[in-house]
Amino acid sequence: MQAEWKDALENAVQGASPQAEENAPIQSVLSTAPEPVHPHNDLAKRKKSAMKRRETIFLICILALPVLNWLIFWLYVNLSSFVLAFQDNAGDWSLINFTLFWDQLTSPYGDTIGMAILNTLKYFAVNLLLIFPLTLVMSYFIYKRLAGYRAFRVIFFLPAIISGIVLVSVYSNMISPSGPIGAMLKAMGVKMPEGGYLLDPDTATPAILLYCVWTGFTTNMIIISSAMSRIPVEVLESARLDGCSAFKELIFLILPMIWSSVSTLVIFLLTGIFNASGPILLFHPDGGYNTMTLSFWIYQQVYGGGTYGGTGNYGLVSCAGLIFTCIGVPFILFVRHLIEKIPAVEY
Amino acid sequence: MKFFKKKIRESSILYQRSRGEKVLFGIVFALFFLYAASLIFPLLWLFINSLQDRTIYEVNLALGKAFEFPSALHWDNYAYAFTQLSYNDANIFMMFFNSIWYTIVYTLGGVLMSAFTGYALAKYRFKLRGFMYGVIIFTMTIPTVGTTGALFNLVYNVLHIYDSPVYVILKHLCGTGLNFLVLYGFFRNVSWSYAEAAFMDGAGHARVFFSIMLPQALPAIVTLSIVSGIAAWNDYMDVLMYLPSFPTIASGMYGVSRTLPRQGYSTVYFAALVISMLPILIIFTCFSNVIMKNFAVGGLKG
Repeated sequence: MQAEWKDALENAVQGASPQAEENAPIQSVLSTAPEPVHPHNDLAKRKKSAMKRRETIFLICILALPVLNWLIFWLYVNLSSFVLAFQDNAGDWSLINFTLFWDQLTSPYGDTIGMAILNTLKYFAVNLLLIFPLTLVMSYFIYKRLAGYRAFRVIFFLPAIISGIVLVSVYSNMISPSGPIGAMLKAMGVKMPEGGYLLDPDTATPAILLYCVWTGFTTNMIIISSAMSRIPVEVLESARLDGCSAFKELIFLILPMIWSSVSTLVIFLLTGIFNASGPILLFHPDGGYNTMTLSFWIYQQVYGGGTYGGTGNYGLVSCAGLIFTCIGVPFILFVRHLIEKIPAVEY
Repeated sequence: MKFFKKKIRESSILYQRSRGEKVLFGIVFALFFLYAASLIFPLLWLFINSLQDRTIYEVNLALGKAFEFPSALHWDNYAYAFTQLSYNDANIFMMFFNSIWYTIVYTLGGVLMSAFTGYALAKYRFKLRGFMYGVIIFTMTIPTVGTTGALFNLVYNVLHIYDSPVYVILKHLCGTGLNFLVLYGFFRNVSWSYAEAAFMDGAGHARVFFSIMLPQALPAIVTLSIVSGIAAWNDYMDVLMYLPSFPTIASGMYGVSRTLPRQGYSTVYFAALVISMLPILIIFTCFSNVIMKNFAVGGLKG
C-alpha cells in the first residue's frame, strides 16, 4: 500500500514539473495527497526539489539569450531614447530638442515634420480603412474556393517575397509617362503630370499610396484565410441550409469566429500608426515631392544622406519619438481595450 | 481515394452557389484575375527588358515608346551584371554571400529564440511567466516611435558593433514578435502526454524539448523560417544603416539603382534585379504550400 502511494507521488512529482494544462489531474493528485510521515517522504521531497532545480536551470538556459536581447535592444534603447530627448548633441541636459521640434513643426518654411505627420496618417488610413478590409474580403473568397483560388493565393503573396527594390523599380517604370501603363493612360486621354505621377508634388504621395495598396494583400491574407479554414464546417453548413447569404456568413458567422486572429492583426496595425509609410527611400531618397513620412524623416535625421556612422543627431529624433509615443500609447491602449471587449467565439 | 474525398468535400453545401452568388463570384474572379495579371505582367516586362539591347531600350525610352520585344536575346546583360556590377567594392557574388549569411543568422536567431520563449511560456508555469508574457505583448502593442537614434547610438557608440556581423547576431537573438505569437500558440496546442512519458523514462527537459516538442513544431518552424528568410533576404534598410561594408543583394540593388539607369545601363540593372529575385522565387515555389498551410496567429490573451 505504502509502495503504491510512493509510486503515485513520484509519478505526480515527475509529471507536475512543467505544469501544462493537461497536467491538471496529476497536480490534483499531488495537492490532495495527505502529508506522509514516513522517512521516504524526504526522498520524494529531494527528488521533487532536484526536478524543480533542473527545470529552473533549463528555463534559465533557454530564456537567458532572448531576455538579454530584450533588455539591451528594447529596454535600454527605449530608456536611452527617453534620456536622449532631454540632451543636446554634446550630451548636456537641455530642452533644445523640444524647441527645435516645435520650430520645425510650426515654421512656415520648413514644413517637413508637419507634412510627415500628414502623410503618415494617410498611409495609416489607407492601411486600416482600405487594405485591411479588402484583405478580409479577399481572404473570404479564397476560403470559399473561388475558381483558381490556389493560384490566386500564391500570386497574391508574391509582393511579400519579391524585394521592394524590384517592385518599386517595375512600378515606377510602369506608371512613368514612357511606361506601358503611363502610355496607355495617355492614349486614353488621362491628364498626367509632365514628369509622371511620381515626379509631381501633388501626385507623388497618392502614387506611392497606390503602390502600397497594390502590394498590400500578402501575409495578412494568408493568416486570415488560414484562420477561416479552421472554422468548423458544420456551423457554416447549417447556416447555409437556413439560407444565410455570403455577406451575412462573412459578417455574422466567420468574422466572430476568427476574431482572435483579426483583432490581433488590427492591434498590430494600430501599433504601427506612426511608422506607417511607403518605401520612400526607394522612390525618393531625399523625401522630395512632398513624400516625407515620419519614419523616413527619422531615418534621414539619423542616417543623413548615407554618411558612414550616421549623422550623430539622435536627440531631435528621440524627442519627436517621445512626443508621438506619448500621444500614441493612451490611444492604442484605449482602442485595444475596446477591441478586447468584443468577445471571440470559442470553438 | 483522395480524389473521391475531395469530390465529396467540393459537393458540400458550402460550395454550392445560388444564381446571384454565381454572378458575384464571377465578378470577383474577374477582379482577382486583373489583380493577378497586374502582379505578373510587370515581372514579365522586367524579364523581357532584361534581354533587350541596352541602346535600343534607352532610345525607346527617350522616344516615349512604351514597350518593344527584343529582336535578339541579349544575355550579355546578365554576363555584365555578373562580371562588372559592383557596389561598395562588392560584386554580385559577394552580395549573394552576404545575403546568405545575413539571412541564416537573422532567421535562425529569430525563430530559435522565439521557439525557446514560446515553449517556455506555453508549457511551464513559473513565477515570472505572466509578467514575461505581459511584457512581450505590451512591447508588441505599444507604438514606440523614434528609437532609431537611440539604437544607432547603442550600436555605434556603446556596443561598437556598427558595420560588424556581430550586430546581426546580437540584434536577431530576439524571442518576441510574430514568431513568438505563432510558436506560443502552436506549443499551447501540442499535447503534453509524450513529454510526460519521456519524463517518466528519465528524459531531461532539454531532451524533451529538442527530441519531442521541437520536431512536433517543425511545420510552424519551417513556415516561420521561410517567411523570416524571405524578409531577411529582401531587407535593405537595416543593412544600409548598420552594415554599409557588407552589401547584401537587396542593399546592393538599392545602391546600383541610383547609378546604373542614369548611366544608360537600365537593361543591366533589370538583369541584376532578375538575378536577385531568382533564389527567393525558387524557394517560394518549392515551399509555397507549407507557407499557405501553417501560418496561424491566435489572440493576444495569454
